Amino acid sequence: MDTYLQVFTITIKEYFVYRLNFILWRLRKVINLMVIFFLWYAVFDHTKEFGTYQKADFLSYILYANLISNFVLGTRTTDIASDINDGKIINILLKPVSFFRYYFTRDLTDKCVNLFFALFEIVLIVYIFKSPIVPPQSILLFVLLLINGTLIAYFISLLLSFVAFWTTETWGPQFLFYTLLFFLSGSFFPLDVLPPAIYKALLLTPFPYLYYLPTSVLIGRTVSLPLFEIAMSFVWVIASWIVVKYVWNKGTKSFSFWGK
Amino acid sequence: MRSLKLFLLFSQFALKSTFQARFGVVLFIAGKIVRFLFLFALIFIVFGKVTSIKGYLLNQIIIFYLTFNVIDTISQILFREVYRFRSLVTNGHLDQILLKPYHPFLRVLVGGIDFLDVIVLFPYLGITFWYIFQTPLITTGGLFVYVALLFNALIIVTSLHIFALAIGILTTEVDHTMMIYRDLTTMGRFPMDIYKEPVRSIFTFIIPIGVMMTFPTKALFGLLSPIFIPLSFVLSCSLLILSILVWNRALKQYQSWGS
Repeated sequence: MDTYLQVFTITIKEYFVYRLNFILWRLRKVINLMVIFFLWYAVFDHTKEFGTYQKADFLSYILYANLISNFVLGTRTTDIASDINDGKIINILLKPVSFFRYYFTRDLTDKCVNLFFALFEIVLIVYIFKSPIVPPQSILLFVLLLINGTLIAYFISLLLSFVAFWTTETWGPQFLFYTLLFFLSGSFFPLDVLPPAIYKALLLTPFPYLYYLPTSVLIGRTVSLPLFEIAMSFVWVIASWIVVKYVWNKGTKSFSFWGK
Repeated sequence: MRSLKLFLLFSQFALKSTFQARFGVVLFIAGKIVRFLFLFALIFIVFGKVTSIKGYLLNQIIIFYLTFNVIDTISQILFREVYRFRSLVTNGHLDQILLKPYHPFLRVLVGGIDFLDVIVLFPYLGITFWYIFQTPLITTGGLFVYVALLFNALIIVTSLHIFALAIGILTTEVDHTMMIYRDLTTMGRFPMDIYKEPVRSIFTFIIPIGVMMTFPTKALFGLLSPIFIPLSFVLSCSLLILSILVWNRALKQYQSWGS
Protein backbone atom coordinates (compact mmCIF):
# COMPACT_ATOMS: atom_id res chain seq x y z
CA MET A 1 0.00 0.00 0.00
CA ASP A 2 2.86 2.31 0.93
CA THR A 3 4.42 1.72 -2.50
CA TYR A 4 1.34 2.94 -4.35
CA LEU A 5 0.97 5.87 -1.98
CA GLN A 6 4.50 6.84 -3.00
CA VAL A 7 3.56 6.46 -6.68
CA PHE A 8 0.55 8.74 -6.01
CA THR A 9 2.74 11.35 -4.30
CA ILE A 10 5.44 11.24 -6.98
CA THR A 11 2.86 11.61 -9.77
CA ILE A 12 1.43 14.70 -8.05
CA LYS A 13 4.95 16.13 -7.78
CA GLU A 14 5.40 15.62 -11.53
CA TYR A 15 2.51 18.01 -12.12
CA PHE A 16 4.25 20.66 -10.07
CA VAL A 17 7.41 20.25 -12.13
CA TYR A 18 5.53 20.80 -15.42
CA ARG A 19 3.19 23.51 -14.12
CA LEU A 20 2.87 25.42 -17.39
CA ASN A 21 1.93 22.25 -19.27
CA PHE A 22 -0.78 21.53 -16.77
CA ILE A 23 -2.16 25.09 -16.77
CA LEU A 24 -2.32 25.09 -20.58
CA TRP A 25 -4.02 21.68 -20.52
CA ARG A 26 -6.70 23.00 -18.15
CA LEU A 27 -7.13 26.10 -20.32
CA ARG A 28 -7.84 23.82 -23.29
CA LYS A 29 -10.41 21.89 -21.29
CA VAL A 30 -12.19 25.13 -20.30
CA ILE A 31 -12.30 26.32 -23.91
CA ASN A 32 -13.83 23.02 -25.04
CA LEU A 33 -16.43 23.18 -22.30
CA MET A 34 -17.34 26.76 -23.16
CA VAL A 35 -18.15 25.94 -26.80
CA ILE A 36 -20.67 23.27 -25.88
CA PHE A 37 -22.02 25.07 -22.80
CA PHE A 38 -22.76 28.29 -24.69
CA LEU A 39 -24.27 26.43 -27.64
CA TRP A 40 -26.87 24.87 -25.36
CA TYR A 41 -27.29 28.09 -23.38
CA ALA A 42 -28.18 29.79 -26.68
CA VAL A 43 -30.59 26.97 -27.64
CA PHE A 44 -32.54 27.61 -24.42
CA ASP A 45 -32.96 31.29 -25.32
CA HIS A 46 -35.81 30.24 -27.60
CA THR A 47 -37.26 27.23 -25.85
CA LYS A 48 -38.11 26.27 -22.30
CA GLU A 49 -37.45 22.60 -22.78
CA PHE A 50 -35.42 20.33 -25.04
CA GLY A 51 -36.90 16.86 -25.26
CA THR A 52 -37.81 16.09 -21.68
CA TYR A 53 -35.13 18.40 -20.30
CA GLN A 54 -35.70 21.78 -18.68
CA LYS A 55 -32.97 24.40 -19.08
CA ALA A 56 -31.59 23.83 -15.54
CA ASP A 57 -31.45 20.04 -16.02
CA PHE A 58 -29.78 20.28 -19.42
CA LEU A 59 -27.12 22.82 -18.47
CA SER A 60 -26.49 20.93 -15.23
CA TYR A 61 -26.00 17.78 -17.30
CA ILE A 62 -23.41 19.52 -19.52
CA LEU A 63 -21.49 20.88 -16.53
CA TYR A 64 -21.63 17.73 -14.39
CA ALA A 65 -20.79 15.51 -17.39
CA ASN A 66 -17.73 17.65 -18.00
CA LEU A 67 -16.73 17.38 -14.34
CA ILE A 68 -17.23 13.61 -14.23
CA SER A 69 -15.48 13.06 -17.57
CA ASN A 70 -12.46 14.86 -16.14
CA PHE A 71 -12.33 12.16 -13.49
CA VAL A 72 -13.30 9.13 -15.56
CA LEU A 73 -11.10 9.93 -18.57
CA GLY A 74 -8.14 11.33 -16.62
CA THR A 75 -5.31 8.96 -17.50
CA ARG A 76 -1.58 8.46 -17.63
CA THR A 77 -1.80 5.29 -19.68
CA THR A 78 -1.05 7.34 -22.80
CA ASP A 79 2.64 6.94 -21.89
CA ILE A 80 2.42 3.14 -22.12
CA ALA A 81 2.35 2.87 -25.93
CA SER A 82 5.59 4.83 -26.38
CA ASP A 83 7.13 2.94 -23.44
CA ILE A 84 6.34 -0.33 -25.21
CA ASN A 85 7.69 0.93 -28.54
CA ASP A 86 10.99 2.18 -27.14
CA GLY A 87 11.36 -0.63 -24.59
CA LYS A 88 11.13 1.55 -21.47
CA ILE A 89 8.27 -0.59 -20.24
CA ILE A 90 10.83 -3.15 -19.10
CA ASN A 91 11.67 -0.76 -16.24
CA ILE A 92 8.19 -1.31 -14.81
CA LEU A 93 8.05 -5.02 -15.57
CA LEU A 94 11.28 -5.64 -13.65
CA LYS A 95 10.11 -3.78 -10.55
CA PRO A 96 8.35 -5.61 -7.72
CA VAL A 97 5.07 -3.78 -8.39
CA SER A 98 1.92 -4.82 -10.19
CA PHE A 99 1.83 -3.20 -13.64
CA PHE A 100 -1.95 -2.73 -13.48
CA ARG A 101 -1.96 -1.30 -9.96
CA TYR A 102 0.99 0.95 -10.73
CA TYR A 103 -0.75 2.56 -13.70
CA PHE A 104 -4.10 2.64 -11.93
CA THR A 105 -2.47 4.64 -9.11
CA ARG A 106 -1.00 7.05 -11.63
CA ASP A 107 -4.40 7.29 -13.32
CA LEU A 108 -6.07 7.94 -10.00
CA THR A 109 -3.65 10.80 -9.32
CA ASP A 110 -4.40 12.31 -12.71
CA LYS A 111 -8.13 11.96 -12.09
CA CYS A 112 -7.96 13.61 -8.65
CA VAL A 113 -5.82 16.53 -9.85
CA ASN A 114 -8.06 17.12 -12.89
CA LEU A 115 -11.22 16.81 -10.80
CA PHE A 116 -9.95 19.39 -8.34
CA PHE A 117 -9.27 21.96 -11.06
CA ALA A 118 -12.40 21.11 -13.07
CA LEU A 119 -14.54 21.68 -9.96
CA PHE A 120 -13.02 25.11 -9.52
CA GLU A 121 -13.54 25.98 -13.21
CA ILE A 122 -17.17 24.89 -13.22
CA VAL A 123 -17.97 26.83 -10.04
CA LEU A 124 -16.44 29.85 -11.78
CA ILE A 125 -18.53 29.34 -14.94
CA VAL A 126 -21.73 28.90 -12.91
CA TYR A 127 -20.94 32.05 -10.92
CA ILE A 128 -19.86 34.29 -13.83
CA PHE A 129 -22.59 33.29 -16.29
CA LYS A 130 -25.26 32.69 -13.65
CA SER A 131 -26.00 29.24 -14.98
CA PRO A 132 -28.82 27.34 -13.30
CA ILE A 133 -27.60 24.12 -11.69
CA VAL A 134 -29.47 21.34 -9.90
CA PRO A 135 -28.08 19.97 -6.64
CA PRO A 136 -26.54 16.48 -6.84
CA GLN A 137 -28.85 13.55 -6.04
CA SER A 138 -28.69 9.75 -5.47
CA ILE A 139 -25.09 9.96 -4.33
CA LEU A 140 -24.63 6.28 -3.46
CA LEU A 141 -25.83 5.00 -6.82
CA PHE A 142 -23.79 7.70 -8.51
CA VAL A 143 -20.61 6.58 -6.73
CA LEU A 144 -21.23 2.95 -7.73
CA LEU A 145 -21.68 3.90 -11.40
CA LEU A 146 -18.71 6.27 -11.25
CA ILE A 147 -16.47 3.44 -10.03
CA ASN A 148 -17.68 1.18 -12.85
CA GLY A 149 -17.24 3.94 -15.44
CA THR A 150 -13.73 4.64 -14.17
CA LEU A 151 -12.76 0.97 -14.39
CA ILE A 152 -14.17 0.59 -17.91
CA ALA A 153 -12.30 3.72 -19.06
CA TYR A 154 -9.08 2.46 -17.46
CA PHE A 155 -9.29 -0.96 -19.12
CA ILE A 156 -10.15 0.49 -22.52
CA SER A 157 -7.31 2.98 -22.39
CA LEU A 158 -4.92 0.15 -21.46
CA LEU A 159 -6.24 -1.87 -24.37
CA LEU A 160 -5.57 0.99 -26.79
CA SER A 161 -2.03 1.30 -25.47
CA PHE A 162 -1.39 -2.42 -25.76
CA VAL A 163 -1.84 -2.10 -29.54
CA ALA A 164 1.80 -0.97 -29.36
CA PHE A 165 2.85 -4.59 -28.76
CA TRP A 166 2.12 -5.24 -32.42
CA THR A 167 2.50 -1.87 -34.18
CA THR A 168 4.16 1.50 -33.69
CA GLU A 169 1.13 3.25 -35.20
CA THR A 170 -0.90 3.64 -32.02
CA TRP A 171 -2.05 7.22 -32.58
CA GLY A 172 -4.53 6.26 -35.31
CA PRO A 173 -6.65 3.85 -33.21
CA GLN A 174 -6.48 6.22 -30.23
CA PHE A 175 -7.59 9.23 -32.26
CA LEU A 176 -10.49 7.32 -33.79
CA PHE A 177 -11.57 5.80 -30.50
CA TYR A 178 -11.52 9.07 -28.54
CA THR A 179 -13.43 10.81 -31.32
CA LEU A 180 -16.14 8.17 -31.04
CA LEU A 181 -15.99 8.29 -27.27
CA PHE A 182 -16.58 12.02 -26.92
CA PHE A 183 -19.75 11.87 -28.96
CA LEU A 184 -21.16 8.51 -27.89
CA SER A 185 -20.45 8.96 -24.18
CA GLY A 186 -22.58 12.07 -23.94
CA SER A 187 -20.08 14.93 -23.84
CA PHE A 188 -22.18 17.09 -26.14
CA PHE A 189 -25.68 16.24 -24.93
CA PRO A 190 -27.50 13.68 -22.78
CA LEU A 191 -27.82 10.53 -24.84
CA ASP A 192 -31.54 10.08 -24.14
CA VAL A 193 -32.36 13.02 -26.44
CA LEU A 194 -31.41 10.73 -29.33
CA PRO A 195 -34.13 8.70 -31.06
CA PRO A 196 -35.12 5.75 -28.77
CA ALA A 197 -33.78 3.07 -31.14
CA ILE A 198 -30.31 4.68 -31.27
CA TYR A 199 -30.34 5.28 -27.53
CA LYS A 200 -31.20 1.63 -26.80
CA ALA A 201 -28.49 0.43 -29.18
CA LEU A 202 -25.96 2.68 -27.44
CA LEU A 203 -26.83 1.12 -24.07
CA LEU A 204 -25.35 -2.13 -25.38
CA THR A 205 -21.96 -0.45 -25.89
CA PRO A 206 -19.57 0.61 -23.11
CA PHE A 207 -19.82 4.34 -23.95
CA PRO A 208 -22.89 5.42 -21.89
CA TYR A 209 -21.45 3.82 -18.75
CA LEU A 210 -18.38 6.02 -18.70
CA TYR A 211 -20.06 9.26 -17.62
CA TYR A 212 -23.50 9.62 -19.22
CA LEU A 213 -25.18 7.25 -16.76
CA PRO A 214 -23.43 8.56 -13.61
CA THR A 215 -24.32 12.12 -14.66
CA SER A 216 -27.97 11.21 -15.32
CA VAL A 217 -28.23 9.71 -11.86
CA LEU A 218 -26.52 12.73 -10.32
CA ILE A 219 -29.02 15.19 -11.78
CA GLY A 220 -31.97 12.98 -10.76
CA ARG A 221 -33.04 11.83 -14.23
CA THR A 222 -33.62 8.26 -13.12
CA VAL A 223 -36.93 8.01 -11.28
CA SER A 224 -36.57 4.30 -10.54
CA LEU A 225 -33.48 2.14 -10.09
CA PRO A 226 -32.02 1.58 -13.60
CA LEU A 227 -31.38 -2.14 -13.09
CA PHE A 228 -30.59 -2.96 -16.73
CA GLU A 229 -28.07 -0.11 -16.99
CA ILE A 230 -26.43 -1.04 -13.66
CA ALA A 231 -26.16 -4.68 -14.75
CA MET A 232 -24.71 -3.67 -18.13
CA SER A 233 -22.10 -1.46 -16.48
CA PHE A 234 -20.92 -4.49 -14.45
CA VAL A 235 -20.92 -6.62 -17.61
CA TRP A 236 -18.66 -4.08 -19.33
CA VAL A 237 -16.29 -3.85 -16.35
CA ILE A 238 -15.84 -7.64 -16.35
CA ALA A 239 -15.70 -7.97 -20.15
CA SER A 240 -13.14 -5.19 -20.58
CA TRP A 241 -11.03 -6.63 -17.73
CA ILE A 242 -11.01 -10.09 -19.34
CA VAL A 243 -10.09 -8.68 -22.76
CA VAL A 244 -7.35 -6.46 -21.37
CA LYS A 245 -5.79 -9.36 -19.40
CA TYR A 246 -5.91 -11.57 -22.48
CA VAL A 247 -4.30 -8.93 -24.71
CA TRP A 248 -1.67 -8.18 -22.03
CA ASN A 249 -0.72 -11.86 -21.78
CA LYS A 250 -0.51 -12.19 -25.56
CA GLY A 251 1.37 -8.91 -25.89
CA THR A 252 4.00 -9.58 -23.24
CA LYS A 253 4.71 -12.95 -24.83
CA SER A 254 5.35 -11.41 -28.26
CA PHE A 255 7.14 -8.36 -26.83
CA SER A 256 10.73 -7.62 -27.72
CA PHE A 257 12.58 -4.39 -27.05
CA TRP A 258 15.66 -2.40 -27.90
CA GLY A 259 18.40 -2.85 -25.35
CA LYS A 260 20.88 -0.22 -24.30
CA MET B 1 9.86 30.15 -59.44
CA ARG B 2 12.74 28.58 -57.51
CA SER B 3 10.70 28.85 -54.31
CA LEU B 4 7.78 27.11 -55.99
CA LYS B 5 10.07 24.27 -57.10
CA LEU B 6 11.38 23.89 -53.56
CA PHE B 7 7.84 23.99 -52.17
CA LEU B 8 6.82 21.20 -54.53
CA LEU B 9 9.90 19.20 -53.59
CA PHE B 10 9.18 19.50 -49.85
CA SER B 11 5.55 18.57 -50.52
CA GLN B 12 6.69 15.47 -52.39
CA PHE B 13 8.81 14.43 -49.38
CA ALA B 14 5.86 15.07 -47.07
CA LEU B 15 3.63 12.89 -49.22
CA LYS B 16 6.14 10.04 -49.07
CA SER B 17 6.53 10.19 -45.29
CA THR B 18 2.75 10.46 -44.76
CA PHE B 19 2.07 7.19 -46.51
CA GLN B 20 4.79 5.34 -44.62
CA ALA B 21 2.26 4.77 -41.81
CA ARG B 22 -0.66 3.39 -43.83
CA PHE B 23 -2.56 1.80 -40.92
CA GLY B 24 -2.46 5.05 -38.96
CA VAL B 25 -3.39 7.08 -42.03
CA VAL B 26 -6.59 5.13 -42.64
CA LEU B 27 -7.71 5.38 -39.00
CA PHE B 28 -6.73 9.04 -38.79
CA ILE B 29 -8.82 9.96 -41.83
CA ALA B 30 -11.67 7.82 -40.47
CA GLY B 31 -11.41 9.73 -37.17
CA LYS B 32 -11.58 13.08 -38.95
CA ILE B 33 -14.60 12.05 -40.99
CA VAL B 34 -16.36 10.63 -37.91
CA ARG B 35 -15.77 13.86 -35.97
CA PHE B 36 -17.07 15.94 -38.87
CA LEU B 37 -20.18 13.78 -39.23
CA PHE B 38 -20.90 13.67 -35.50
CA LEU B 39 -20.78 17.44 -35.15
CA PHE B 40 -22.86 17.76 -38.28
CA ALA B 41 -25.36 15.38 -36.65
CA LEU B 42 -25.28 17.51 -33.48
CA ILE B 43 -26.60 20.47 -35.47
CA PHE B 44 -29.47 18.35 -36.79
CA ILE B 45 -30.22 17.04 -33.29
CA VAL B 46 -30.47 20.61 -32.01
CA PHE B 47 -32.65 21.71 -34.90
CA GLY B 48 -34.84 18.66 -34.45
CA LYS B 49 -36.33 20.47 -31.50
CA VAL B 50 -35.79 24.21 -32.12
CA THR B 51 -36.25 26.31 -35.25
CA SER B 52 -33.43 28.79 -34.70
CA ILE B 53 -30.43 29.57 -32.52
CA LYS B 54 -29.87 33.26 -31.82
CA GLY B 55 -31.92 33.99 -34.93
CA TYR B 56 -29.92 31.68 -37.22
CA LEU B 57 -31.75 28.97 -39.16
CA LEU B 58 -30.55 25.41 -39.77
CA ASN B 59 -28.89 26.10 -43.14
CA GLN B 60 -27.13 29.16 -41.77
CA ILE B 61 -25.69 27.29 -38.77
CA ILE B 62 -24.56 24.51 -41.12
CA ILE B 63 -22.75 27.03 -43.33
CA PHE B 64 -21.01 28.50 -40.25
CA TYR B 65 -19.89 25.00 -39.32
CA LEU B 66 -18.77 24.09 -42.85
CA THR B 67 -16.91 27.37 -43.30
CA PHE B 68 -15.04 26.69 -40.07
CA ASN B 69 -14.09 23.27 -41.42
CA VAL B 70 -12.85 24.68 -44.73
CA ILE B 71 -10.63 27.32 -43.06
CA ASP B 72 -9.40 24.90 -40.41
CA THR B 73 -8.61 22.19 -42.95
CA ILE B 74 -6.70 24.55 -45.28
CA SER B 75 -4.64 25.74 -42.34
CA GLN B 76 -3.92 22.10 -41.39
CA ILE B 77 -2.86 21.35 -44.96
CA LEU B 78 -0.54 24.31 -45.29
CA PHE B 79 1.00 24.66 -41.86
CA ARG B 80 1.41 21.11 -40.50
CA GLU B 81 5.18 21.61 -40.36
CA VAL B 82 4.75 24.18 -37.57
CA TYR B 83 3.71 21.32 -35.27
CA ARG B 84 7.14 19.76 -35.80
CA PHE B 85 9.08 22.98 -35.28
CA ARG B 86 9.95 22.44 -31.61
CA SER B 87 12.36 19.60 -32.27
CA LEU B 88 14.20 21.69 -34.90
CA VAL B 89 14.85 24.34 -32.25
CA THR B 90 15.73 22.00 -29.39
CA ASN B 91 18.15 19.81 -31.35
CA GLY B 92 19.74 22.66 -33.27
CA HIS B 93 18.69 21.49 -36.73
CA LEU B 94 17.15 24.89 -37.34
CA ASP B 95 20.72 26.10 -38.00
CA GLN B 96 20.88 23.97 -41.12
CA ILE B 97 17.66 25.49 -42.41
CA LEU B 98 18.70 29.06 -41.66
CA LEU B 99 21.96 28.53 -43.53
CA LYS B 100 20.22 27.39 -46.72
CA PRO B 101 19.82 29.93 -49.56
CA TYR B 102 16.02 30.09 -49.37
CA HIS B 103 13.54 31.69 -46.99
CA PRO B 104 13.18 29.56 -43.83
CA PHE B 105 9.37 29.79 -44.06
CA LEU B 106 9.55 27.54 -47.11
CA ARG B 107 10.72 24.78 -44.81
CA VAL B 108 9.41 25.56 -41.28
CA LEU B 109 6.04 27.08 -42.22
CA VAL B 110 4.84 25.40 -45.42
CA GLY B 111 7.43 22.66 -45.79
CA GLY B 112 5.18 19.79 -44.71
CA ILE B 113 1.92 19.82 -46.64
CA ASP B 114 -0.57 17.51 -44.91
CA PHE B 115 -2.05 15.34 -47.63
CA LEU B 116 -4.45 13.63 -45.23
CA ASP B 117 -6.36 16.88 -44.95
CA VAL B 118 -6.32 17.37 -48.73
CA ILE B 119 -8.42 14.21 -48.95
CA VAL B 120 -11.16 15.73 -46.79
CA LEU B 121 -10.92 19.33 -48.08
CA PHE B 122 -12.65 18.71 -51.40
CA PRO B 123 -15.76 17.10 -49.90
CA TYR B 124 -15.93 19.97 -47.37
CA LEU B 125 -15.73 22.55 -50.15
CA GLY B 126 -18.35 20.70 -52.20
CA ILE B 127 -20.82 20.43 -49.31
CA THR B 128 -20.23 24.05 -48.28
CA PHE B 129 -21.02 25.48 -51.72
CA TRP B 130 -23.93 23.05 -52.12
CA TYR B 131 -25.48 24.42 -48.92
CA ILE B 132 -24.70 28.00 -49.91
CA PHE B 133 -26.53 27.58 -53.22
CA GLN B 134 -29.44 25.90 -51.41
CA THR B 135 -29.86 28.89 -49.12
CA PRO B 136 -32.23 31.59 -50.36
CA LEU B 137 -31.35 35.31 -50.51
CA ILE B 138 -27.63 34.79 -51.15
CA THR B 139 -26.42 37.54 -53.48
CA THR B 140 -23.46 37.50 -55.86
CA GLY B 141 -22.00 40.42 -53.90
CA GLY B 142 -22.39 38.49 -50.65
CA LEU B 143 -20.69 35.48 -52.19
CA PHE B 144 -17.81 37.63 -53.43
CA VAL B 145 -17.27 39.18 -49.99
CA TYR B 146 -17.52 35.68 -48.46
CA VAL B 147 -14.69 34.36 -50.64
CA ALA B 148 -12.63 37.52 -50.02
CA LEU B 149 -13.06 37.13 -46.26
CA LEU B 150 -12.08 33.46 -46.52
CA PHE B 151 -8.76 34.61 -47.99
CA ASN B 152 -8.57 37.21 -45.26
CA ALA B 153 -9.04 34.44 -42.68
CA LEU B 154 -6.13 32.56 -44.24
CA ILE B 155 -3.92 35.64 -43.82
CA ILE B 156 -4.82 35.70 -40.11
CA VAL B 157 -4.18 31.95 -39.86
CA THR B 158 -0.77 32.46 -41.49
CA SER B 159 0.10 35.27 -39.06
CA LEU B 160 -0.88 33.18 -36.05
CA HIS B 161 1.31 30.32 -37.24
CA ILE B 162 4.26 32.69 -37.73
CA PHE B 163 3.66 33.94 -34.17
CA ALA B 164 3.74 30.31 -33.00
CA LEU B 165 7.09 29.80 -34.74
CA ALA B 166 8.50 32.92 -33.11
CA ILE B 167 7.26 31.76 -29.70
CA GLY B 168 8.88 28.41 -30.45
CA ILE B 169 12.27 30.07 -30.89
CA LEU B 170 11.89 32.26 -27.80
CA THR B 171 10.53 29.61 -25.42
CA THR B 172 10.92 26.23 -27.22
CA GLU B 173 7.18 25.81 -26.54
CA VAL B 174 5.20 25.09 -29.69
CA ASP B 175 3.00 22.06 -29.01
CA HIS B 176 0.78 23.65 -26.38
CA THR B 177 0.66 26.96 -28.24
CA MET B 178 -0.66 25.12 -31.28
CA MET B 179 -3.12 23.01 -29.33
CA ILE B 180 -4.51 26.10 -27.62
CA TYR B 181 -4.76 27.80 -31.01
CA ARG B 182 -6.69 24.74 -32.30
CA ASP B 183 -9.03 24.77 -29.32
CA LEU B 184 -9.61 28.51 -29.56
CA THR B 185 -10.49 28.25 -33.23
CA THR B 186 -13.12 25.60 -32.44
CA MET B 187 -15.07 28.42 -30.82
CA GLY B 188 -15.66 29.56 -34.41
CA ARG B 189 -17.57 26.39 -35.30
CA PHE B 190 -20.72 28.28 -34.43
CA PRO B 191 -21.60 31.98 -34.72
CA MET B 192 -19.96 34.12 -32.04
CA ASP B 193 -23.44 35.40 -31.13
CA ILE B 194 -23.99 32.26 -29.04
CA TYR B 195 -21.32 33.32 -26.57
CA LYS B 196 -22.10 35.64 -23.72
CA GLU B 197 -20.18 38.82 -23.01
CA PRO B 198 -17.29 39.33 -22.36
CA VAL B 199 -16.38 36.01 -24.05
CA ARG B 200 -17.94 37.14 -27.35
CA SER B 201 -15.98 40.41 -27.62
CA ILE B 202 -12.71 38.84 -26.47
CA PHE B 203 -12.92 36.11 -29.12
CA THR B 204 -14.10 38.41 -31.86
CA PHE B 205 -11.73 41.33 -31.56
CA ILE B 206 -8.90 40.66 -29.10
CA ILE B 207 -8.25 37.08 -30.25
CA PRO B 208 -9.67 37.37 -33.77
CA ILE B 209 -11.41 33.97 -33.93
CA GLY B 210 -14.67 35.69 -34.88
CA VAL B 211 -13.02 37.65 -37.70
CA MET B 212 -11.39 34.48 -39.02
CA MET B 213 -14.14 31.95 -38.71
CA THR B 214 -17.49 33.70 -38.58
CA PHE B 215 -17.14 37.04 -40.42
CA PRO B 216 -17.11 35.37 -43.89
CA THR B 217 -20.41 33.60 -43.22
CA LYS B 218 -22.00 36.65 -41.62
CA ALA B 219 -21.04 38.69 -44.69
CA LEU B 220 -22.53 36.00 -46.93
CA PHE B 221 -25.89 36.45 -45.21
CA GLY B 222 -25.57 40.25 -45.28
CA LEU B 223 -25.40 40.31 -41.47
CA LEU B 224 -21.98 41.90 -41.19
CA SER B 225 -21.84 45.66 -40.86
CA PRO B 226 -20.02 46.97 -44.02
CA ILE B 227 -17.44 48.83 -41.93
CA PHE B 228 -16.14 45.50 -40.60
CA ILE B 229 -15.15 44.30 -44.08
CA PRO B 230 -12.25 46.77 -44.65
CA LEU B 231 -11.45 46.63 -40.94
CA SER B 232 -11.00 42.85 -41.22
CA PHE B 233 -8.42 43.33 -43.98
CA VAL B 234 -6.63 46.03 -41.99
CA LEU B 235 -6.53 43.66 -39.01
CA SER B 236 -5.19 40.71 -41.00
CA CYS B 237 -2.50 42.76 -42.76
CA SER B 238 -1.43 44.36 -39.47
CA LEU B 239 -1.22 40.93 -37.86
CA LEU B 240 0.85 39.59 -40.75
CA ILE B 241 3.32 42.49 -40.59
CA LEU B 242 3.52 42.22 -36.79
CA SER B 243 4.08 38.45 -36.92
CA ILE B 244 6.96 38.87 -39.39
CA LEU B 245 8.51 41.56 -37.17
CA VAL B 246 8.20 39.26 -34.13
CA TRP B 247 9.72 36.38 -36.14
CA ASN B 248 12.69 38.53 -37.18
CA ARG B 249 13.20 39.65 -33.60
CA ALA B 250 12.98 36.04 -32.38
CA LEU B 251 15.57 34.96 -34.95
CA LYS B 252 18.02 37.50 -33.54
CA GLN B 253 17.63 35.86 -30.12
CA TYR B 254 18.02 32.31 -31.45
CA GLN B 255 20.91 30.38 -29.95
CA SER B 256 21.91 27.11 -31.51
CA TRP B 257 21.99 23.92 -29.42
CA GLY B 258 24.37 22.15 -31.75
CA SER B 259 27.06 19.83 -30.44
